[in-house]
Amino acid sequence: MVLRIARKELVEMARDGRFRAAAAIVGALLLMALATGLAQQRARADEVATAERLDRQVWDGQGPKNPHSAAHYGVYAFKPAPPLSFADRGLSAYVGETVWLEAHWQNLASHRPAEDRTALQRFGELTAATVLQLLLPLVVILLAFSAFSGEREAGTLRQLASLGVPGRALASGKALGVAGALALILVPATALGALALVSAAPGSWVATLGRAAVMAAGYLVYLAAFIGLSIAVSALLPSSRLALVALLGFWILNGLVVPRLVADLSERLHPVPTATAMWAAMREDMTNGIDGHNPADVRSQELERETLAEYGVTKVEDLPVSFAGISLQAGEEYANQVFDKHYRALWDAYARQDRTHLAACVFAPLLAMRSLSMGLAGTDFGQHRHFVTAAEEYRRGLQRFLNGEMTRKAKGLDFGYRADPAFWATAPRFDYEPPSLASVLGQQASAASLLALWAISASVFAGWAASRLRVA
Amino acid sequence: MLEAVDLTKSYNGTVALDRLNLKIDPGEVFCLLGANGAGKTTTINLFLNFVPPTSGTARIKGKDVTAAPLETKRHLAYIPEQVMLYPNLSGLENLEYFSALAGHDRYSREELLGFLKGSGLPEDAADKRVSTYSKGMRQKVGIATAVAKRAEALLLDEPTSGLDPKAANEFSQLLTRLSGSGVAVLMATHDLFRAKETGTRVGIMKHGKLVQTLDTKDIGHTDLERIYLEHMHD
Repeated sequence: MVLRIARKELVEMARDGRFRAAAAIVGALLLMALATGLAQQRARADEVATAERLDRQVWDGQGPKNPHSAAHYGVYAFKPAPPLSFADRGLSAYVGETVWLEAHWQNLASHRPAEDRTALQRFGELTAATVLQLLLPLVVILLAFSAFSGEREAGTLRQLASLGVPGRALASGKALGVAGALALILVPATALGALALVSAAPGSWVATLGRAAVMAAGYLVYLAAFIGLSIAVSALLPSSRLALVALLGFWILNGLVVPRLVADLSERLHPVPTATAMWAAMREDMTNGIDGHNPADVRSQELERETLAEYGVTKVEDLPVSFAGISLQAGEEYANQVFDKHYRALWDAYARQDRTHLAACVFAPLLAMRSLSMGLAGTDFGQHRHFVTAAEEYRRGLQRFLNGEMTRKAKGLDFGYRADPAFWATAPRFDYEPPSLASVLGQQASAASLLALWAISASVFAGWAASRLRVA
Repeated sequence: MLEAVDLTKSYNGTVALDRLNLKIDPGEVFCLLGANGAGKTTTINLFLNFVPPTSGTARIKGKDVTAAPLETKRHLAYIPEQVMLYPNLSGLENLEYFSALAGHDRYSREELLGFLKGSGLPEDAADKRVSTYSKGMRQKVGIATAVAKRAEALLLDEPTSGLDPKAANEFSQLLTRLSGSGVAVLMATHDLFRAKETGTRVGIMKHGKLVQTLDTKDIGHTDLERIYLEHMHD
């Protein structure tokens, strides 16, 4: 019976010019979003590959040079565009795509595409994710707001009720009908998305398939929540007009108001320092010591005394190794503690902001969907943090490598040491491995559960509303 | 088959139906007569459990309709004054859908066309969308739906209003045929002539009360009209 109802709903919708127009528009937008996403991702992948190659060429071809000069010159870590970023660019435009890895200092990621944009573009990118998160719920609302109220107004509900059809069966059938109509848009889009996936990452698409499958499932759950809610409201409210107003109100809350409010609220609750303030605080900690008791000059005298004692000499000039190398490495290690302290505080503040967003998804399922989608696309903050942490680990290793060379090869106070031209190619390379699906799922477990909770509550709500349907 | 026991319905203190007692056996056609607002439609809504009774019970095949709302509806078919259909579906598709939901999902296209023809729908209209139908044509699809349901009881709320005399006459013949095969019919109507012709009993309602019940075989048409008007006058 449920299937029979679903089929009739689907036939009716397919014959309705309004649905055909809406489906065509949304389908075209989705197609466009996929195409631009794919083009952007390809351009970005090419850019990264070229930049990495050039950067390495310059590094390897430095010629005879002091290792610390090379450290100051630095290298770049380029964040690869994850395969699924064509579907959801997430925070990519805002968090920076490259990190400059230099001596003495942990930099923030730079090159944010959003910096090059006008204020208008900032309003929103057209990605498959925005179409799925914002526009498809609108299509669901337009398909379902009159599911019951429309039949009540047209008088067909009396006819149906006189047949002895249980309200719940009607609700399920109608929900399935809307789902079927959506499938007419989504199945071709998913097929195209899968093709895009294969072409976006010819080598790694199998590994990405798991992420893509969970992402698709997430969107189905998200849309199911909207179907359930729309049908419930349509069954409860006395008129189609009221149902439409209520549902559009919720759509605006979900898509615009709550996310905006939560963004402001989370920044207010968990403020982050400005870059200038954070830089000054890190300088302060380095110069005067993290605890304020162990300033730089004291640390340096201490290091000199210990090193002289270790090698059994009385003057720095007599050391068999480079004191500059040792002291540079000691400086790095102290600075690393400072970076760890300040960056951890910064990342944790961002993580707390993320949690505030997730908590607000009680009012807006979009927030949970967005988190899950970005997480699976690999464009969320957690994976940005994973990348910059890996880049910083690499920077520290590279500094150790360079300072070690300096320490071993130069003597005493000799700062003029020049490394062999062949030395540069022996430096470690930055080879970034993104987090596994399992670890992403672990991070997104609460977002996924909250989303599922929305869908379950919405269907329970719809069943309840349909079982107490008023006919007359 | 259909039974009302002290069936009462009031809306915010206004009594729409006052202690109705009625029993309609298989094969009987009971016609409810009365002015608008006399309680005819309320009676039918109560049997359909579209509104809950204030007191008393409505029973179908001995079952209280409020206690077994789905089961009791399986035995009955309902034709309202204005049959409402899905405008984007054809008459045939509407009939097929309603029949399937009523539990008859194995009718062939020929059988369905037969039901439509039997209720007087022109053959070439069956596959046209209902949005092009006249009121009378929609009414005929409603009749076909009721027949296809193979119900044991019919609840009819001025079913022939808007039908042309020929169609109304065909409908009366159909009713006679159905009651002959043991269907119990409760019909609200303004048409005294049809009530006398097709009804086995008529009940005259006024202000929510059933004021008089008559056997149609005992009474002529003019007598029925006289009695009806007498009740309406005071």
